[in-house]
Amino acid sequence: MSADNFLEVRGLKKDFDVGSPTLFSRAPRNLHAVDGVDFTLHRSEVIALVGESGCGKSTLALLLMGLEDPTDGKVILEGRDITHLNDHERKDLRRKIQMVFQDPYESLNPTQTIEEIVTEPLAVHGITNSAERDDRVKKAMEDAGLKPAEIYLKRYPHELSGGQRQRVVIAAALVLEPEIILADEPVSMLDVSIRAEIINLLAELRITRQIAVIFITHDLGSVGFFADRVAVMYLGRIVEIGTMLEVLEKPQHPYTKALLSVIPVPNPRLRRERIILQGETPNPIDIPSGCRFHPRCPVAFAACKVSDPPMVTISRTHQAACLLLVK
Amino acid sequence: MQTTLSPSTPQAKTAKTASRLQGFWHVFRKNRTGLIGLGMLATILFTAIFAPVIAPYDSSSTSSAGISDIYNPPSAEHWLGTDDAGQDVFSNFIFGARVSLTVGFFAAFISIIIGGVFGLVAGFFGGRWENFLMRFTDIFLVIPDLPLMVVIVALTKPSLLNIIFVIGLLGWTTTARVVRSQTLAVKSKKFVLRARAIGAGKGHIVTRHILPLVMPILVVQAVLVVSLAILNESALSFLGLGDPTALSWGQMLNYAFGRGAMSTGAWWALVVPGFGIVWVVLGLTLLGQGLEKVLNPRLETHHLMPGRSPVQNEADLDVPGKGALLEVQNLSINYVNDGQPPARAVENISFTLKEGELVGLVGESGCGKTTLMLALLRLLPAAGQIVNGNVFFGGKDLVSLSDDELNDIRWSGISIIFQGAMNALNPVRPVDEQISEVIIKHLPSFPKERMQGRVIELLELVGIAADHKDHYPHQYSGGMRQRAMIAMALACNPQVVIADEPTTALDVMIQAQILELLDSLRKKLGLAVIFVTHDLGVVAEMCDRVLVMYGGVIAEYASVDVIYNDPKHPYTQELLKAFPDLTKPKKKLSSIPGYPPRLEALPAGCRFAPRCPSVFDRCHTEQPALHILADEHKVSCHLVEALK
Repeated sequence: MSADNFLEVRGLKKDFDVGSPTLFSRAPRNLHAVDGVDFTLHRSEVIALVGESGCGKSTLALLLMGLEDPTDGKVILEGRDITHLNDHERKDLRRKIQMVFQDPYESLNPTQTIEEIVTEPLAVHGITNSAERDDRVKKAMEDAGLKPAEIYLKRYPHELSGGQRQRVVIAAALVLEPEIILADEPVSMLDVSIRAEIINLLAELRITRQIAVIFITHDLGSVGFFADRVAVMYLGRIVEIGTMLEVLEKPQHPYTKALLSVIPVPNPRLRRERIILQGETPNPIDIPSGCRFHPRCPVAFAACKVSDPPMVTISRTHQAACLLLVK
Repeated sequence: MQTTLSPSTPQAKTAKTASRLQGFWHVFRKNRTGLIGLGMLATILFTAIFAPVIAPYDSSSTSSAGISDIYNPPSAEHWLGTDDAGQDVFSNFIFGARVSLTVGFFAAFISIIIGGVFGLVAGFFGGRWENFLMRFTDIFLVIPDLPLMVVIVALTKPSLLNIIFVIGLLGWTTTARVVRSQTLAVKSKKFVLRARAIGAGKGHIVTRHILPLVMPILVVQAVLVVSLAILNESALSFLGLGDPTALSWGQMLNYAFGRGAMSTGAWWALVVPGFGIVWVVLGLTLLGQGLEKVLNPRLETHHLMPGRSPVQNEADLDVPGKGALLEVQNLSINYVNDGQPPARAVENISFTLKEGELVGLVGESGCGKTTLMLALLRLLPAAGQIVNGNVFFGGKDLVSLSDDELNDIRWSGISIIFQGAMNALNPVRPVDEQISEVIIKHLPSFPKERMQGRVIELLELVGIAADHKDHYPHQYSGGMRQRAMIAMALACNPQVVIADEPTTALDVMIQAQILELLDSLRKKLGLAVIFVTHDLGVVAEMCDRVLVMYGGVIAEYASVDVIYNDPKHPYTQELLKAFPDLTKPKKKLSSIPGYPPRLEALPAGCRFAPRCPSVFDRCHTEQPALHILADEHKVSCHLVEALK
C-alpha cells in the first residue's frame, strides 16, 4: 500500500493450544486469542485499541513485540516483513518498538535502582560509552517527566509513587529512542488524578519525539484527548475502526455504542441511558457462530446467528463489522 | 546538580551491596530467634577456628596415655573427662568441631551449587529441560539418602573428601525444588517480560533479574542444608564409615559407643559430642528461621488493632440523632512505629450514614480511605491506633467495645466487600463453602439444613446461577468473583456494607454491571452503603452524598449534586478536571501536579497546599478549619471563609 503505512498488520492470528493432556489422550483445543486482525499505523500516529479483557488486545501487543509467534498473518514495518525474525534481527528491531506495561508495581525489578533500570536497555544493546549513556539516560528520564533526573537515580522502585514508577517504565522505553511505543493499559492501575498526566506525557512524546503510539485500553473514555484513530476489538477481531471523532461521536457497531454508554460521567445531572451488556466476553475457545457478538448484542436478529458480518465501509476512514450496516 | 551515572562500575556495585547488607542487618538484629542462632553458630565457629589455642591438649597426644587414663570422669585435669584412648574429651570436642563443620560447609556448598543450577535451569527454561531435571530430582528424592551414602562410602575409601562429595552429591534435591518454584514465580513477573521486550538475552535475564530474587531463598536453604550435611556426616561416622584420620563428633560417638562407654558409665564420652551436634543444628535452624522471617516478611503474623479505653467523659458524648445508622465523630487514627513519631493517617473525620443511603468516600491512594474504613470495624494491624473519636452504630460506640462484642457486629451489622476479589477469596476452596463459612462463623445458630438454600439464594441475589456454586474462584471470571464477594458480604444480613474499591480492577462493562447490582441491592434490601473509590465518575450516578478525603482529613463533604456542580474545595475541583469529558473529546486533560503527602512528612499548614492552584501564604502555616457552608456542606479550606 502507500508508503505512508509505517506499520502494517495483515490477518494476524494467534491460537493457543489449551487441550489438557491426560495420561492417555490429548484432545487438541484451540483458544483463538487473536483471530484475524488488520490495521495500519502511520508515523507518529496514536491509535487506540479498545476492548474488554479477553478480547485479545494484550496478545496482539505481545505479537507486535515479537514476544509471541503468530499462528498466521503478517507484521510489516516500513515495507519489511518482521513477522518471523531470528534472535539477532529481533534484538535490533527492539530498539524501534518498545513497550509500556499495565502494572508499574510489577514491571520494575524491586532490587534494581532507577538508574540501573533506565540504563539496562543501553547495556543490553551494547551502548557502553559512558558519556553517551549518561546523556541518553538523563534525557529519557527528563522527557518522561522525572526532573531533575539526579534525585531519582539512586532510589528503588518502592520509594516511588505509582505515577512515578510508570514514568520510570516509560523512561526505560525512551532510552532506546524507539519509533513506536506499545502501551498496554498504562493507566488502568493508576489513580484517576494521575492518569491524565501519564496520558499527557504520551501525547507530548509523539510530538517531541515523533513516536507512534499503540494505546491499548479497556476504557474508551481515556482515549478521547490524544488518539488519532480508535479500533474497537471484540473476541480477537477489530469490529470497528475509525478516527477518534467518528468512533466517539458516530459509533456504528452496537458493541461500541454499549462501551461508550457505560463510561462514567462525573455529573449526576447527566444520568444517561446505559446499555449494560449482560455476561462477559465469551470464552475464545468456542467462538459463537455468525457474528461473534450476537449472544450479547441488544439488537441482534436471526441472520446474526449464521453469517459473519464483513467490514462495512462507512467513510474513507471508518469501518465497522455489523450486519445492520450491510445494505 | 551534575552527577555522573556510573551504575556498572565495581565501586558502585560494592556500595550498593554494602548498603543492602546494612539494611538487612538493621532488620535482622531485631529478630531474636535469628540472633540467638547466629550467636550459637558464631561461638562454635570461633572454637573451631582457634582450636589449637583453645584446646588444652594436642589432638593426637595418645602416646603418653596409659591404661589408667581410659574413661576418666571429668576432673580439674580433664574438664570433660577422657575417652576410650585416654584422650581429653574436651580437646577432641574442639578439634572435632573443625572436622564436622568442614564437612558440613563444603558438602552444603556442593549441594547448593547443584540444586541451585538445576532449579534455575528447570524453572527458567521449562519444557524438556524442566521435565528431565525434575524427574531426575524425583528419582533422587525417593532414594533413601542414608543407606545410599553408606553403600557408596563403604565401597570407596572412607576419606574426608569422599564423605564431603557423597553428602554433597546426595543433598541437593530440596534446594533444586525450592529454587525451581521461586524461579517460576519470578519468571512470571512483568519485569522479566519487560526485560525481554528490551531485547535482553537469557543470560542477562537470569543474572540480573532472576538470581537477585532467588538469592534470599537460596541463603535460607543453604543454612538448612549445612545442618543436614552435619547430621549426615555424624550418622556416617557413627556407623564407622568416617575418615579414621580426622576425628569428628560422629566418630567420637562411634568410638565411645563401640568401646564400652555405655557399660562403663562414661556418659561424658557420649554426651559431649552429642551436645556439639545438637548445638550446631539448633543454631543453624534458629538462624534459618530468623533469616526466613526477615527475607520473607509475609510470614509475620498479624495482630489486630486494640480498642480504645472507654470514653473518658460520658457527658461530652454527642449521642447521634435519630435516623443516623452509623455515625462517625472526630475519628483520628495514628500509625505507630517504634522510635518514630506517630504517622497521622486519619485526622478528625466525621460523617453520618442514614438507612438506605449511599455515601461515596473519594480520594487518591494513600489518602487514608482504607485505613478509615478498616478502623470502623477495628480491622487494622496493631500498629494502627484510634487516638480520638467515636463510631456509633446501633446505640453502641464501636471504638470502646470489647473484641467479642465487636465480633457480633462484624459482618452481621457492618460488612466489607474487599478490594481485589482474587486475593480476598481462598483459591483452594469452592465458593459456596466460603460463603457458608461466613454464616457459620457469625451466625452460629443458623440451621444447618437451611444452609444450602441460603447460599443459593445469596448467589442468585448477586446474579450467579446456582450451578456455579461449588466452583473454585479461579473458575470464575473477574466480574463473577466480585459478585461472590458481594454475596459473602450480604451473607449475614448486614445493615451497612462498606465497598472498598469494588470495581477498580474491572473492565468498564463489568464495572457498570457491578454498580448496577449494588444499586439494585441497596434498593431491594434497604442497605446503607459506603462506597470507597478513587474515581469520582463511578459514584456520580448513584451516591447521595460524597466525602472527599485528602491526606487523612476531610477536604469536602456535601450532597452529590453540590460536589459535582458547585465544589468549593480546590482539590475537588481539580479531581473533576482530571476526568476525560467525552462531550469535549479534544480537550486536554488536566492533572493535579505532584503527589499526595507522605504520612511521615505532612505539611505544616493545609495538607493540600503544596499541590493547590489557589494557594496563598496562610495555607502554608495554618491548617484550615472545617467550615460549614450550608446544611451538610463542609469544606476545609481558607478560601471559603469569605463565603460564609
